[in-house]
Amino acid sequence: MTARPGPGGASPPRTATDPVRTVPQRVLGRMAMGVWLTVMWAILWGDASPGTLLAGAAVAGGCYAAARLPHLPVRLRFRPVHALLLCAHIAVEMVGSSLRVAFHALWRPGRMRGAIVSVPLRTDSDLLLAMVIGGLSLITGSLVIELNREEGVIYVHGTPVASERAVRQLRRQVRRTEELFVRAFGTLRDIEEFEQEERQLRASEEETP
Amino acid sequence: MNVLDYAYTATFALLGAAVLLTLYRLVRGPSVMDRLVCLNATSVLLVSFIAVEVGLRGDPAYIGLVITFALLGFVGTLTAARFAERRAHDRG
Amino acid sequence: MTAADIATAVLLPLGAAFAFVGTVGLVRFPTLLGRVHAATKPDTVALVLILAGTAFQLPDIRVAAWLGLAALFQFLTVPVLAQTLGRVAYSRGEISAEHLIADELADAVERSRQGRGDGGRGPE
Repeated sequence: MTARPGPGGASPPRTATDPVRTVPQRVLGRMAMGVWLTVMWAILWGDASPGTLLAGAAVAGGCYAAARLPHLPVRLRFRPVHALLLCAHIAVEMVGSSLRVAFHALWRPGRMRGAIVSVPLRTDSDLLLAMVIGGLSLITGSLVIELNREEGVIYVHGTPVASERAVRQLRRQVRRTEELFVRAFGTLRDIEEFEQEERQLRASEEETP
Repeated sequence: MNVLDYAYTATFALLGAAVLLTLYRLVRGPSVMDRLVCLNATSVLLVSFIAVEVGLRGDPAYIGLVITFALLGFVGTLTAARFAERRAHDRG
Repeated sequence: MTAADIATAVLLPLGAAFAFVGTVGLVRFPTLLGRVHAATKPDTVALVLILAGTAFQLPDIRVAAWLGLAALFQFLTVPVLAQTLGRVAYSRGEISAEHLIADELADAVERSRQGRGDGGRGPE
């Protein structure tokens, strides 16, 4: 993935102020992933008897220890209403743009045009960025090509995009998706930063129309 | 023959036609990337085929294949794509 | 003919139609990025519809959980794949400029080259 900070990219300041984690804290931090792996193991075996669960937990723990996966600090909040809005948005966009691409596939495919558009993003959390990029790439007709982590700019390829108006529409759609992700999963601090960046962006856009 | 049978026939016909079209693009290329895209499309179509078959028989015996093929296709395409990128960097 | 059968009879051909049209796009679109779009994402819609249609025919909820897992994997893997393919295609220079009405990434690479004295990393 391109969602890694650049070589000179400063990590967000809040990770630097974290206290050193003790052993139980480290185990707890990895617990969620362990539980998820165990649940998958149970689904794949097709039954949830205690023996299966125990074996699944053992395998998950073993894999975790062997792979020495780093613990990513997950700083997310989950807001169900906004998450539902987000799911609805992605579903509508997916089907809608699939239909648009389907129409172009059947009717004069040679005339379809695309555009690579730069969109400055307003969130600074690595995890949220990765989610936004994933969500955008899931929607037909938009594809994140490159990410400039230091400046927080993503380059999105959109299709079908044939006019300046369509470029503006694509940009608006990317921003809408980002806003929904931040409001559904961001912490209060993320949302605060987001709104601050939003105001700055608006101001700079009014200066240079 | 009831409506469901017609539905299965239509589904298999459409998926089969899709596989043939994908194979056409796979043979024609023109670039490695096109072939990778086709490889992935074929694996997704294969997964769809198996899923329809599972529904047709009402028998979950093949259902493990659905997940296995989905993940294999993903890992295969991703690895090949990364390799293609590495080659481009080496040349440049 | 039950309600579940009707749902299956609608969902399966609809999904297959999505897959078919996506493949038509894969054959007919003139650009690589257009083909990536056409091949990856209508397929996801198609697979989800087909899995939903299949789920109505299964006797057991546990088996349906497998299908849900397959749909989840598809949702997780498709963005990664689409984005990797797009990035690699761009880095190999396999994009046709006449089908792009704007390429702001090339503009940005050009700017950073000039700014840093040809030190910018970008498509060859």
